[in-house]
Amino acid sequence: MRLTSLGVVRGLVGYFAGMLIGMAVVVISRLVLGMSAWDQEAVWVGGIIFSIIGFLLGVGAMSDWLKWTRGVQTPLRHGPPVNQPAWTRYFGVDYNHKVIGIQYGVTAFMLLVVGGSFALIFRSELADSGITFLQPGTYNTVLSMHGWVALAAILLGIAGIANYLVPLMIGAEDMAFPRLNAFAYWLNVPAIVTLLISMLFGWDSGWTAYPPLSLRGPVGYQMVFWAIFGIGLSSILGSLNLIVTMLLMRPKGMTLFRMPILCWAILATSIIQLTATQLIGQAFLMLSFERTLGMPLFNPIYNAAGENIGGQPILFQHLFWFYSHPAVYVFVLPGLGIISELLPVFSRKPLFGYRWVALSSLAIALVGFLVWGHHMFTSGYQPYLRVVFMISTLLVAVPTGVKFFSWLGTLWGGRLTFQTPMLFTLGAISVFLIGGLSGPILATAATDLFLHDTYFIVGHFHATIFGGFVFPFFAAIYYWYPKITGRMYNETMGKLHFWLMTPGFWLMSLAQMTAGTMGMRRRIADYDPALGVENVQLLVTIAGFVIAFSILIMIYNLFTSAEVGVLAGNNPWRSRSPEWQIPSPAPEHSYARPITVVGEPYDYGLAGSTYIATAGAGDD
Amino acid sequence: MAAVTTSAQAAALHPHDAHAGHDHYAAQLRMNRLGLWLFFISEGFLFGGLLTVRFFLWGADTRPELDQTIGLIVTSVLLISSVSMRLAETAMERGNRKAFSVFILLTALFGLIFLGGVMVFEWGLFPSLYPAHLTPWGDKYGAVVFAMTGMHALHVISGIIFILIVWNLARKGNFSQERHWGVESCAIYWHYVDVVWIFFYPALYLIGNAVHVTH
Amino acid sequence: MLKLPQSSTDRKHFMIVGALVVVTTIILGFFLLAILPIKAQASVQAEPIRWLFQLHLWLIAFLFSLVVVFMLYSLLVFRRRKGDTSEGEHFEGNTVLEIVWTVVPLVLVVIFSVIGLRTLQQATSGGDDVQVEAVGFQWSWTFNYPNGVTSAEMVLPVDKPALISLRSNDVIHSFWVAEWGPKQDLVPGMTTTLHITPSKVGEFSLACAELCGLSHWSMLAKIRVVPEDEYTAWMDEKLAAQNLQTASR
Ligand code: HEA
Ligand code: HEA
Ligand code: CUA
Ligand SMILES: [Cu+2]
Repeated sequence: MRLTSLGVVRGLVGYFAGMLIGMAVVVISRLVLGMSAWDQEAVWVGGIIFSIIGFLLGVGAMSDWLKWTRGVQTPLRHGPPVNQPAWTRYFGVDYNHKVIGIQYGVTAFMLLVVGGSFALIFRSELADSGITFLQPGTYNTVLSMHGWVALAAILLGIAGIANYLVPLMIGAEDMAFPRLNAFAYWLNVPAIVTLLISMLFGWDSGWTAYPPLSLRGPVGYQMVFWAIFGIGLSSILGSLNLIVTMLLMRPKGMTLFRMPILCWAILATSIIQLTATQLIGQAFLMLSFERTLGMPLFNPIYNAAGENIGGQPILFQHLFWFYSHPAVYVFVLPGLGIISELLPVFSRKPLFGYRWVALSSLAIALVGFLVWGHHMFTSGYQPYLRVVFMISTLLVAVPTGVKFFSWLGTLWGGRLTFQTPMLFTLGAISVFLIGGLSGPILATAATDLFLHDTYFIVGHFHATIFGGFVFPFFAAIYYWYPKITGRMYNETMGKLHFWLMTPGFWLMSLAQMTAGTMGMRRRIADYDPALGVENVQLLVTIAGFVIAFSILIMIYNLFTSAEVGVLAGNNPWRSRSPEWQIPSPAPEHSYARPITVVGEPYDYGLAGSTYIATAGAGDD
Repeated sequence: MAAVTTSAQAAALHPHDAHAGHDHYAAQLRMNRLGLWLFFISEGFLFGGLLTVRFFLWGADTRPELDQTIGLIVTSVLLISSVSMRLAETAMERGNRKAFSVFILLTALFGLIFLGGVMVFEWGLFPSLYPAHLTPWGDKYGAVVFAMTGMHALHVISGIIFILIVWNLARKGNFSQERHWGVESCAIYWHYVDVVWIFFYPALYLIGNAVHVTH
Repeated sequence: MLKLPQSSTDRKHFMIVGALVVVTTIILGFFLLAILPIKAQASVQAEPIRWLFQLHLWLIAFLFSLVVVFMLYSLLVFRRRKGDTSEGEHFEGNTVLEIVWTVVPLVLVVIFSVIGLRTLQQATSGGDDVQVEAVGFQWSWTFNYPNGVTSAEMVLPVDKPALISLRSNDVIHSFWVAEWGPKQDLVPGMTTTLHITPSKVGEFSLACAELCGLSHWSMLAKIRVVPEDEYTAWMDEKLAAQNLQTASR
């Protein structure tokens, strides 16, 4: 097997070739236009844009479309590559949603490890006061990378779950647009490479990249802007694909209110991603252009009379949070969907108030569009806005509460069992609860004036992110692992993972909040021992390492069990969901026959009820 | 780590290939249409964002001095191009290939005229032809004008490329009276880009009092 | 040993859980107060903030207990026993309950909106008996008084309402004295303000709370809150020193 038969290798070659070409194009155009040949901002922007395109061409994510423009028909290729080992399909363009789902999922996991490792690096520095091995500039870069890499991990993780599960759950053959699906995945890879390259140059604004700071620093910013633009474009395209799939590819009998509940969560998520993401893309493009061309959109400039004829820094914050607040519900809604999906299975009971749970996802998503200004209480915008955003933010608590109470209703009177996925689900509920409840305390503006930009915020969002994404993501991995590999993970190691990670997490998050109320600011490379937070900071660091260790156990478990795990059978959890009615591992064509829906999804405990039926030979 | 079982009919063609049956084409068409409209909704947020930027920075009461005649002309040209695009599409529906080719190329031509107008007169790309009144780096007026027209022009350019591809495919006989999603999508896209301009034009040229900026 | 009822809708369950919720709320409330010692307590504006913060802690204690106690109780009571192969009880929902747990949080939200509004007003208003301009720049501060005095530390008289105007010319910074409570960003291109009425004499540390580049972490300044006469003395001394300077120039 030749190395270049792997798509990703060709892609990387294309990436660096594209980079050189892009740089050359910029240099030559500048010379033609009579400017100096070298301008590092412009040259890098050219290099980045071309390198991303180069990667996509190299990997072959656009080959079919390019052929179409010439009128060449290309049938949708299915199955593993011919004349090559089956595993190679994961390293190149493949149109099967299960392959793409796994590609997303594994990439996300790798990013989580990378992003988490950044945290471990700067946490070691913060373990005590005084600067030891991370200089402040490096600290800022590592911290900022931690933020974006971890968030990228979430976005990809969600895309992985959605890609793998949505078509399976609604009994569809594949996604609506398989080529677009593959394209959307592969767009992430050069974007991530670009993001990692930014490390070499540094950037120091945190993930929020507020101008004017982000207009001044090193050229690493340009890479971040374009990398995030790429990841954003990918999530727009991916969510478009998911919405079309869910709206048009459901089988006979599956009304919207008979979809597995996770699909509702993903639908709500996709609506946010489809629309709001444009604004962060735009905001980052504007930053890039302001840096390269000097377009004064965000940085004020003054005329002779001293009036500001340039931009306004606050404008960026509005654009940024118009995406980034709804984005936190992107992080969390699929996780809450997984909780709602798993609880009935492990309680052997129907999901309590299915419709309310389904609609609450939509409500959270929609109200989430109206609250972005709660990140800007101290920004200096008009004071009345504080009131508007305070009230709208508090409102989000209502549909979120509906979910929590419905989960309790689901547990109540069940026959609960506590395998690893269930443990992580229950952990997720308690962790997300403390994260969520620390939201209103920020939403009432007065308290936020104190808490803003302290470690209390850090505590708040690690709790929401762990409870809303990390715990449910792990639950999902353990739960669907048998469907993906055909084998069971090791239960003892799974439980060990849980019992290490959960206390580790509680310690980390609560200690962060404590530090915040004691006056510890965010994003500082070193702190005054007089604050009295040294012990608390040490606890956070220790907790971070405990979490990392527990994740190492998980990685070991997943790798070894794929070889030696017990065969799982089709439906080890006795679930009613369609994906468990087919063989494990899920075959290339998931459903040999089209399915029809004849009952409710969560009628556990109702004798004789079924959810799906496989269409007989006659009634296609 | 994980593997999707390789089934026996590995690498076989998709059972429902694009040519398989009418049913499949109709289903695919519905998905394509929905997908395209979702894309427009998404892009709507992009253009809406640009309008927000404009109103945030300029307010409702100021705008830069721009050449009104030129603005009116390019806008009219773009609107007319939508008519010719519609004519092209109807020609395709009637099976009149000749008329289709003429009208779609005419649309592209109008698009190019619009683009040229913007580049030469608004951007002042060739100072020897027409001296610009704005630069992207001068002040908030230049910056926003360039941001908005730039993003719009990018869409016009991609529309023209799209048109040329569709024209070429039609020439090769790739579309039929009944099956011409390529033409349809190209037309809808073009109209969409026009509609965006209908919002941009007043925002740039009409709303607010012109201020003369000097630096 | 207490014998638990068989049916899941038996009142006894709810009475037990209710009692446990009350107990854990109290324990948790004091625990949270202990581990989250909010530092804002040395200004008039800090008072409503601390008060609301602690009120929130009680709300958190209650809601957290409510959900978690119910959850843990279900885990214990409704766990599958050995050998039991039956399924859970079949109920799909209850509209009355759903409405209750939509409306009750809604009421809480309204209450907290009203309280939030009031505290916000208290925390952001005050007089302007003393006026200071604080200028932040990468990575330090200067303070200008209306009478022309410029200083690297900020001195304020205790119990006198102060209006601090904030200005920056490079990047965004944020003015924060933890003990005083509220913070406010300094945004290039505009002037922002902060009302503070220091209520405790002492030395505090002003810290920049918005990431502003390399030395953000060390963008600190000394704040001294002193009795009124000491303040006048300091001001006179400063004035004299500066006049001397200008005179000798
Ligand atoms: C998964 C991510 C996630 C989620 C779900 C949330 C959920 C919420 N967040 Fe959070 N938030 C972040 C991630 C998230 N957040 C991040 C990353 C930041 C920092 C960004 C940065 O600056 O870097 C942030 C910052 C942030 C701020 C700005 C802080 C600051 O910088 O000053 C605020 C302010 O209002 C806020 C509020 C809320 C609220 C009200 C919710 C609500 O949705 C919570 C709703 C849930 C509950 C309330 C619990 C369950 C409800 C009940 C049991 C019902 C009854 C309850 C009541 C009546 C109260 N968040
Ligand atoms: C998915 C989201 C996510 C996740 C999982 C985490 C995980 C962690 N985070 Fe982070 N964090 C953010 C998202 C996330 N964070 C964001 C968005 C910010 C804001 C950034 C900003 O301000 O701009 C932030 C900021 C942030 C801060 C604030 C820093 C500051 O303001 O100065 C801190 C400080 O304690 C912190 C700590 C941690 C720790 C200890 C973990 C631990 O849980 C990490 C645990 C470790 C792993 C998950 C990796 C597993 C590692 C291994 C298995 C080891 C194997 C490795 C090798 C062999 C190399 N994070
Ligand atoms: Cu100034 Cu941070
Ligand atoms: Cu938010």
